[in-house]
Amino acid sequence: MPRGLLLILALWAGCGGGADPARVRLATTTSTEDSGLLQWLLPPFEEATGIEVQVGPAGTGQALALGERGDADLVLVHARDREDAFVAAGHGTERRDVMWNDFVLLGPPDDPAGVRGTTDAALALRRIADARRPFVSRGDDSGTHIKERALWARTGGAPAGAPHYLDAGQGMGACLVLADEKRAYVLADRGTFLSYRRRLDLAVLVEGDPALRNPYGAIPVDPARHPGVRAAEARRLLEWLTSREGQARIAAFRVDGNALFHPAHGVG
Amino acid sequence: MDFLWEGLREAVRLVASGDAHVFHAVWVSLLCTLLSVSLASLVAIPYGAWLGLYRPRGARPQVFLLRVGMALPTVILGLLVYALLSRRGLLGGLDLLYTKAAIIAGEILLAFPLLATLAHGATAALDREVVETPLTLGAGRVRAMLRALGEVRTAIAAAYLAAFGRCHTELGIAITVGGNLRMRTRTLPSTIQLELSRGDFAGALAPGILLVLLACGAAVVTYRLAREDRR
Repeated sequence: MPRGLLLILALWAGCGGGADPARVRLATTTSTEDSGLLQWLLPPFEEATGIEVQVGPAGTGQALALGERGDADLVLVHARDREDAFVAAGHGTERRDVMWNDFVLLGPPDDPAGVRGTTDAALALRRIADARRPFVSRGDDSGTHIKERALWARTGGAPAGAPHYLDAGQGMGACLVLADEKRAYVLADRGTFLSYRRRLDLAVLVEGDPALRNPYGAIPVDPARHPGVRAAEARRLLEWLTSREGQARIAAFRVDGNALFHPAHGVG
Repeated sequence: MDFLWEGLREAVRLVASGDAHVFHAVWVSLLCTLLSVSLASLVAIPYGAWLGLYRPRGARPQVFLLRVGMALPTVILGLLVYALLSRRGLLGGLDLLYTKAAIIAGEILLAFPLLATLAHGATAALDREVVETPLTLGAGRVRAMLRALGEVRTAIAAAYLAAFGRCHTELGIAITVGGNLRMRTRTLPSTIQLELSRGDFAGALAPGILLVLLACGAAVVTYRLAREDRR
């Protein structure tokens, strides 16, 4: 056989195949990946169990779609209604609270729409729209986008189609950069904002509104529905995430000294 | 297979229903691609042909640089344009970031080395007589070059098609400097990317079908323009 062909075959073999090591496919949102939480959280689990976690960061919509198609074993997302619908439709076996973080409304530090210090996030959005200041929407059916829509719905709807409503259809990080460039307002999860903060000229203008809380749930994909799913590994990861050890690890995660995610089961 | 089949049916329905967002993306894609390819080719084709036909002093390093430019990943071009147009960049005052103009600027950078390299390659292989005969008959160098370009019009048509293909399927530039803004700078490829990230397979397939149709249209148009059917 010619040497070139052998080389190609060797490369091909290196791409996969061989013995099948224990692994679990985790479909999760960009916020957990972009903030660095997963790189902090998962290695102890992988070391203790020998199970490799393959992370596919996506918007909540795509993460749930991966689960619905059986292309993921465990889903970790933040959109409560969609999660419940996912379980109700029989794609997942159960939903468990894992942790929560919160959203913040960001904008240019000089705050041309005058929303700083407002405690009602929906009211702040209304003011931004009334002042015709640009607002960047995720527009990608992510958990953050769903939260945006819920807030806009409480104040008469988003000014979709207006020139100052920028529907970006991109991940959180890209939207932060966009808002920074356009001196626009944007709703972001605190974690992603903190990890991007030093590079951006954006300030936290509204925070602490209970409506800005953001709970994360984990759902194992139902093996009865999707036979290819690695149910045992997914179960172990879920148990570990909600265990004392996993919860303590979540609570100990820091970005620049800030706690980003708060364990759902209050051990931290 | 159901998955693909249902996706296709839904996609065809979306295209047939004339979904405004999808068709706006067609418009943005076509506008940016056609403008950037034609603007780039105005300079790139004569430039490449000049290098190929007359081999001026310093032609080799120029050809080499063009080839490097041709092989650059589009995200790098996107970064370059971004660095220029960013609020903190050299041309930040123009407020061009996240506009169609920014996409066009990036795609010109993408199309230029490709068109110039292919024009150079096509003309450099020509028999010297193709330019020397008209030159000895008193024609100017520009005129002789145009004649030579006519000789290789099939290769030039293919160069246009390649540039069209690279620009209209382009994603790195469209997202980095276009921003993927709905009804403004969202192109067909960035629509596909977005719909996939939303988990909407049919929604991603619909713009995909339109991209294929555009590619077919471009092939027909370049074929016609090169008058290959009248050989």
